[in-house]
Amino acid sequence: MTTQLWAIGVVLLAAMIGGFGPIFLKKATATLHRNLRSIIFNFNLWAGIAIYAVSTVMFFPALKAGDLSVLYPMVATGYAWVSIYSMKMLNEKMSMLKWIGIAAIIVGVTLIGFGSQLG
Amino acid sequence: MKRKDRKKRIKEIRIGNTALWAILLMFLTTVLTSTAQTLYKLGIADLHFNIISIITNWPIILGLCIYAIGAGIMIIALKGGEVSVLYPIIATSYLWVSIISMIFFKEPMNALKWSGIATIMIGVSLIGLGSRKKTKLGGVI
Repeated sequence: MTTQLWAIGVVLLAAMIGGFGPIFLKKATATLHRNLRSIIFNFNLWAGIAIYAVSTVMFFPALKAGDLSVLYPMVATGYAWVSIYSMKMLNEKMSMLKWIGIAAIIVGVTLIGFGSQLG
Repeated sequence: MKRKDRKKRIKEIRIGNTALWAILLMFLTTVLTSTAQTLYKLGIADLHFNIISIITNWPIILGLCIYAIGAGIMIIALKGGEVSVLYPIIATSYLWVSIISMIFFKEPMNALKWSGIATIMIGVSLIGLGSRKKTKLGGVI
């Protein structure tokens, strides 16, 4: 099957949303202790888990309209988003290597996108 | 006692700043996530958006469970080492999923798609390398 372009769009959007997951989990670790209370009332922890759930659920309808070998690699754009969100929200440093990595992921996803339309 | 010593020694094998057990756990994660993706694709053909179809779709439910176990193992692995070593390992899952898609689901692969996979793997590895912590020596480990 030729992968529908909307399916690629949905997976890219899911990765963009899913990228917030690790950010909230990272924030959660600051207030997470080995007691039930700190787990149950940890907003960041539940936000992180909910974000993962949303991006996974978004992946399913897309998978129905496309090839796994096209859509799964698109999930890698999530790594690029995590780097950018970490810089903006956790004040982590960006490095030249990370930027090159982000560029490489964009090039890779584009190549797969074109490749998927060749059939 | 001897056995305990040997166990301890295996636990202490390191590659750079990364424990061998963390590397092996990361490989296990790639196997689990690739399996989960395969199960999703298997289950998705029978998935309709009503509740009965969702809760009785065993490949997807099994896939989600395997994915959750994989995520848990990955968190443990990340505690045992540097992302500069562990990210390149996790990036191999893109290769595994492509091979599985080609063999199991008869999906067409071509030069553009393979080069895209290779470029993405390099990209994820570079993000891992770029996240290395600076050492006291001022450089990177």
